[in-house]
Amino acid sequence: MEYFLNQLVNGLCQGAIYALMAIGYSVIVGVVGMVTFTYGEIMMIGAFSAYYIFQAFGNNLPLAILAAFTGSFVIGIIVYKLCYEKFFNAPRHISLLCTIGISMLIKNLAQIVFGPETKPVLDIIENRTFTIMLGSVRLDIKLLQIVVILLVIVLAGTLTLFFNKTKWGIALRAVSQNKDAAYLMGINVKRTALIGNCIGSGLGGVAGILLSIYYYSVSATMGGAYSMKAFAASVLGGLVDIRFSALGGLCIGIIENLGIAVSAATFRDVFAFGFLILVLLIRPQGFVSKKGVRV
Amino acid sequence: MVDGKKTVLEIEDLSVHYGYISALDHVSLHVEQGEIITLIGSNGAGKTTTLMAVSGLAAKTNGTIRFKGQDITKTAPDKIVKMGLCHVPEGRKIFPALSVYENLIAGSLGNPALKKERIQELIEEQFNLFPRLKERIGQAGGSLSGGEQQMLAISRGLMMDPDIVMLDEPSLGLAPIIVEDIFELIMKIRDMGKTILLIEQNASMALSIADRGYVLENGRIIMEGKGKELLVNPKVKAAYLGA
Repeated sequence: MEYFLNQLVNGLCQGAIYALMAIGYSVIVGVVGMVTFTYGEIMMIGAFSAYYIFQAFGNNLPLAILAAFTGSFVIGIIVYKLCYEKFFNAPRHISLLCTIGISMLIKNLAQIVFGPETKPVLDIIENRTFTIMLGSVRLDIKLLQIVVILLVIVLAGTLTLFFNKTKWGIALRAVSQNKDAAYLMGINVKRTALIGNCIGSGLGGVAGILLSIYYYSVSATMGGAYSMKAFAASVLGGLVDIRFSALGGLCIGIIENLGIAVSAATFRDVFAFGFLILVLLIRPQGFVSKKGVRV
Repeated sequence: MVDGKKTVLEIEDLSVHYGYISALDHVSLHVEQGEIITLIGSNGAGKTTTLMAVSGLAAKTNGTIRFKGQDITKTAPDKIVKMGLCHVPEGRKIFPALSVYENLIAGSLGNPALKKERIQELIEEQFNLFPRLKERIGQAGGSLSGGEQQMLAISRGLMMDPDIVMLDEPSLGLAPIIVEDIFELIMKIRDMGKTILLIEQNASMALSIADRGYVLENGRIIMEGKGKELLVNPKVKAAYLGA
């Protein structure tokens, strides 16, 4: 029981990171209108941007988060220019294949530039554990986990405010829901899609740094599995609904951690994707209640 | 040109092709300030294509389009809108997951010159035109009924405070009683000082409120005249009015 509860806490924390990944992914898919497979590499670039900030300026978390967001934001511009801009009216698979190609390119370039070895990211957040006693059950929560969860909540809240209360946010959502109609509202659809793509990428970058401090490491090839999980989480949420995608991420995190509690840590991905398949078998539209309702 | 009024929109020799198929063949028409102009024709005659070409969403193979004297043939769609041309698309195309209020705000994006107070005024104007929308202000656009969605689409367009409103089949799929409301509304919009270019399959309704009308057939304009005249024209009657 105690073990399960502690795994649930781990799951919540990991799920929070997945939720952030999924939010970023959904924003991209929504405004661009095409799926991306470069997301893992975008997260990796974010993590490395932060890594070099840690190397240069010590444990400055806010600065590192800013760097991660900016680094991934810039990569977002490149991905947009190469994979989407020319292909809005082309069949969808063309830009999809482009993103796969760019993903390989970035991954391999990163191995050359950053080096192929896994680099440690240690002691960014003080290793402190808070213990809560629930009756006789002992619950351990790390400071790291609290920081991660709070960060995700703050970011998600900020994003929600941005999307709902600002003109930019409304323009982004309009583009994500109907591009032709958005043109007729005088919205510069291409520029808005670019900015949406970059904001989503930036969030991915922040998720990347959170993953690296959560696992104490960063490597050029870290993106692959997370890219698939971000995809899975947002598929659970109906691909473009950011709230449900976040919920999807949270569920995957929790399922994973409960799953490895009854088996072994190497089965992590089996539970994540098994859960995805199971949900899609029962509800092909994901968690979203109505078809066609977006962001 | 007519009655010495100012020409708002002028289309000259416009041709549009979809692949090898010719959708519009040297179409010319003009819209004067304060007029209601209607474009009638059967399915596939090129009515929607004309509007799409004007607002820059369809690629043109020939011709020029001038709006308020400026050549907009090659201008980007969002820039055309910002010049004061509003296009309410066929099938309403409201933003389903934006609330009614947010849909209206999205409309106001089309006119960057609008100040905050003016936007509030415009919203109030819309609520006066369509009291129903006020009741549904917080509801998602997608949850409205067809008629309400059409009203929302029109008000969303009016939120940019445009010079000309192009309406594409505003009565499509609506109950007859609501269709009448929509047409009354179109006249109200004209009385607000807007110029209107209206596309309709409901030719008799459209012609009865229009100052002038054009009849489009297979991508060509085959007839032009005052609304009332076309309404009694035997050819038009036979082809479009079902009489």
